[in-house]
Amino acid sequence: MKLNVDGLLVYFPYDYIYPEQFSYMLELKRALDAKGHCLLEMPSGTGKTTTLLSLIVAYMKAHPLDLTKLVYCSRTVPEIEKVMEELRKLMNYYEKEMGMEQNILGLALSSRKNLCIHPSVSKEREGKVVDGRCYSLTASFVRARHAADDAIPICEFYEGFDAHGKEFPLPPGVYNLDDLKEYGQMKGWCPYFLARYTITHANIVVYSYHYLLDPKIAEVVSKEITKTSVVVFDEAHNIDNVCIDSMSVKITKRLLDKCSNSIQLLETTISNMKENDSKRLEKEYKRLVEGLRDATIARETDMALVNPVLPSEVLEEAVPGTIRTAEHFVAFLKRVVEYVKTRLRVQHVVQESPAGFLRDIHTKVCIDRKPLRFTAERLASLIRTLEISDLTDFSPLVTVSHFATLVSTYTKGFTIIIEPFEDRAPTVSNPILYFSCLDSSIAIKPVFNRFQTVVITSGTLSPLDMYPKILDFHPVIMTSFTMTLARPCILPMIVSKGNDQVAMSSRYETREDTAVIRNYGNLLVEIAAAVPDGIVCFFTSYLYLETIVSSWYDQGIIDQLQRHKLLFIETQDAAETSLALINYIKACDNGRGAVLLSVARGKVSEGIDFDHHLGRAVLMFGIPYVYTQSRILRARLEYLRDQFQIRENDFLTFDAMRHAAQCLGRCMRGKTDYGIMVLADKRFSRADKRSKLPKWIQEHLKDTNCNLSTEECVQTCKRWLRQMAQPFSREDQLGISLLTLEQLQSEEMQKKIQQRAQGI
Amino acid sequence: MDDYQTCPKCKTTKYRNPAMILMVNACGHALCESCVELLFAKGSGACPECKCPLRRNNFRIQLFEDPAVDKEVDIRKRILKEFNKRQEDFPTLREYNDYLEEVETIIFNLVFDIDPTNTNKMIDNYKKENKDITQKNRNRQSQEEMELEELLEAEKAQQCEKANLYVNAELEEKKQKHKAREKLIDELMFSDADAKSIVASHAQATAALAKEQPKAAAQAGSGVVKSSKFSSGIQIGLRGHHTNSFLPIPKQEDLPLYRYTAPVFDYDGPPPPSIEMLGKLNYFANIRAANITERAGGYTEAMSCCRALQEAMGGLFYSPQSTHKTAVLATISTEDTDDMETT
Repeated sequence: MKLNVDGLLVYFPYDYIYPEQFSYMLELKRALDAKGHCLLEMPSGTGKTTTLLSLIVAYMKAHPLDLTKLVYCSRTVPEIEKVMEELRKLMNYYEKEMGMEQNILGLALSSRKNLCIHPSVSKEREGKVVDGRCYSLTASFVRARHAADDAIPICEFYEGFDAHGKEFPLPPGVYNLDDLKEYGQMKGWCPYFLARYTITHANIVVYSYHYLLDPKIAEVVSKEITKTSVVVFDEAHNIDNVCIDSMSVKITKRLLDKCSNSIQLLETTISNMKENDSKRLEKEYKRLVEGLRDATIARETDMALVNPVLPSEVLEEAVPGTIRTAEHFVAFLKRVVEYVKTRLRVQHVVQESPAGFLRDIHTKVCIDRKPLRFTAERLASLIRTLEISDLTDFSPLVTVSHFATLVSTYTKGFTIIIEPFEDRAPTVSNPILYFSCLDSSIAIKPVFNRFQTVVITSGTLSPLDMYPKILDFHPVIMTSFTMTLARPCILPMIVSKGNDQVAMSSRYETREDTAVIRNYGNLLVEIAAAVPDGIVCFFTSYLYLETIVSSWYDQGIIDQLQRHKLLFIETQDAAETSLALINYIKACDNGRGAVLLSVARGKVSEGIDFDHHLGRAVLMFGIPYVYTQSRILRARLEYLRDQFQIRENDFLTFDAMRHAAQCLGRCMRGKTDYGIMVLADKRFSRADKRSKLPKWIQEHLKDTNCNLSTEECVQTCKRWLRQMAQPFSREDQLGISLLTLEQLQSEEMQKKIQQRAQGI
Repeated sequence: MDDYQTCPKCKTTKYRNPAMILMVNACGHALCESCVELLFAKGSGACPECKCPLRRNNFRIQLFEDPAVDKEVDIRKRILKEFNKRQEDFPTLREYNDYLEEVETIIFNLVFDIDPTNTNKMIDNYKKENKDITQKNRNRQSQEEMELEELLEAEKAQQCEKANLYVNAELEEKKQKHKAREKLIDELMFSDADAKSIVASHAQATAALAKEQPKAAAQAGSGVVKSSKFSSGIQIGLRGHHTNSFLPIPKQEDLPLYRYTAPVFDYDGPPPPSIEMLGKLNYFANIRAANITERAGGYTEAMSCCRALQEAMGGLFYSPQSTHKTAVLATISTEDTDDMETT
């Protein structure tokens, strides 16, 4: 249908629209008009993706000069594919309505692993291996050697692309990963490089977060994207953690040992080269003396090594004299690695600021801050000069060089923590150095500064005001949309006590209490008896899950449970978990019914949807706080408190509640769906926790359902399930939660939408 | 850890003898402590590996896994004591970098025993030439070091301050909560008023307190520089303290109160109908009505109509003589009239 969104003609590829989708478009358009960033929360299952796409495409068509590109960041490959499907639907609709080919090019980009069509390289399983092998076939010096000697293998697909691909741009259309591969096969061009080349002139690019947020990758892939782009981060409730991870480095003993090996390899290569072909080293040396930046950096295939973000004034400067020649640099690396090794030889936990680390490295091994800062850059240059084609061995050394560069560049917002052993196994020595980023705004700042509009959206972003604080930006629009529903199809309840009136809570003091465990068990058994099909349970940690399950065995609760439903358990092993999931789905599909016990923050809680009969009820046993004794977390909390005035408890609660909401949201994947959400912890009913749930859940959480016992909870469930089991058709929804074009344009609905916009 | 460390002489490993300590001397070869005692009982001797003469007191505990690094660091420290020029001592960065490389080469040569005579000569030369600078630099820290020191000190100070502050604040908060609860219970016990109203007033008081708290927290953490712009580049009021602060009220000075006087407008024409009258006089019949989006911005068709009428009627009575009403106006308008006449 064609919509008028505040004066903008929007083609919407469906015949019906949800009211909140329309409101979402209104808000999004305002943000685009203002050229500012926005933060939008809309429940999962209400068609965020298609709403975003149709509005932004319409905006691009209407204002081709103001908005030239859409960069859509998603988390996983399946999600990217889903976005591409929606986009294809939209473009088909445009074609049907306008009656001609659309001049819009949309494509997905993923790693080489997903895009390679080289007959042998593409067989590799591991991403790093594929990258390394690709590099060894396509690096510029390999190709130069091939020109001299035909026996040296190169990738014919890359050659094809290099010879012809740049003259003929990809014809307009929508290309997902498979389409790209197919197109590459047909033309004999490398799909990966084709996609990377096409990014600069494509209208819509869909790829993973890391291509923008990880400074190491963003530098190469996303450098050329214009300012007049809109960047969308979908499912962005964890965006702060992604930012932090992309800037953090973890160094183990094993990694350092591998580093020593690669340093030796470097040494021998240098001495070989000195004997045979000293010209190249001289050339590199001269270039460094002159302070010129590497000219070959422009060559796209030589991308495997890049440096993390450096202030540009540093990049302009010449490499310091101490590490200019190759041998000196290798000796320098050796000292760095040996120094870090000595640091790992600790008996107790050490926490240090980057400044402290720099001072110590200066006194111990006489390394100044400046050469440290150039480590990553210098290493990249050296490896290029040495023409080492097998890069996989060097990744540990690259990690250390990144660490060196980062630690000497940033004195604020980072901390160094050295742990001699893991907390869980204090007898096994396993020293790890964490160089941990505490400030999520560091990684995302360039994105906010560079693009005119950044949209951060997810089903669960509550409480909204936390994100601008921790990401340190000022959105022009910050809105949470609820779901308009024709019937009360979610039933959130807070169960605070068992039938014996013992309070249920996963508090540390009471969680091992048999009464609490038994009450949790009884709750699950009774719900399993009342609720049909699938039930998903979330625990706060794997450890807690295991202790509870073992006590349930002793108490006979498992037997009772299996009388009603089959039982599946998520484990830390991904393969085991996916097997359990497959069988869980099978059991739900054939009507046997099943219970899945899983863990908040685990794989199940983060990307697997339990729509309709796969998840009729979600039980959240306890509040999923993070492991608060972790030193990295402690350091981050302290930093947040000092820099952003966020109190520790506020952040912990925020983090716990967003994960809880994420878990609860698993069972609601659309408006025809219905599900029970049980929050089994006394503490959920407190105002500070309750108010942090997303608005669309809070709306249905009545005060009467906030302090239930097991018995009361089951009674409420039964009544509600009977109501939900009534036939429900599209006609029931029409006009309330689903609108036709006429209904949307009706005065009454417009008024409602206006009110909604003002009420926010 | 480091279980595989072995003494090259007696072949003891760290695994078999956890108390083993490896030592290194100037030549960069390791020996375990007991071997050192045995071989160097006289106070001096030759290294069992390279046969170079060593003194016993020069043995130090090996710090790094690779004894060669120990040796290098040792030499480096020695050399850097002499070669301590700073960037400030050089006219250009390029020369400084060349100097750094030279130092590095000297160290490298010493470590690997390349060309020892020349290297030593170079060192001696340097020592002679740069005695003054070396002396001077020894007593002063480089800029970089100073920066680091400052940073560290600032960190320390901040930590002390913050730790106390937050602990106190939290304690205070807890106390207050406790007090409030006790007060409520007391009131409920002894007061004659309606229980509901007591609870309600109590809830109000706590809400007010809760509102105040973030402010206090923000004040505690003030001094942190925050960005002062919206993402679209618009300035945010007065940042730095906290977001919902008002602009400070400008200081009033004792001036005579402002009095409004209607501006006199030299219109030179028949008065146009007022904006309210336009509709009644049926002027809108000839004008495009404003559409919905235009109205949203506060625009009505009366505005443009009124302006058109003003423009049409203004200046109808104009004649060059009658304009010389005031001196100020005249100077401006004469120029205009001149232009008019010429065109």
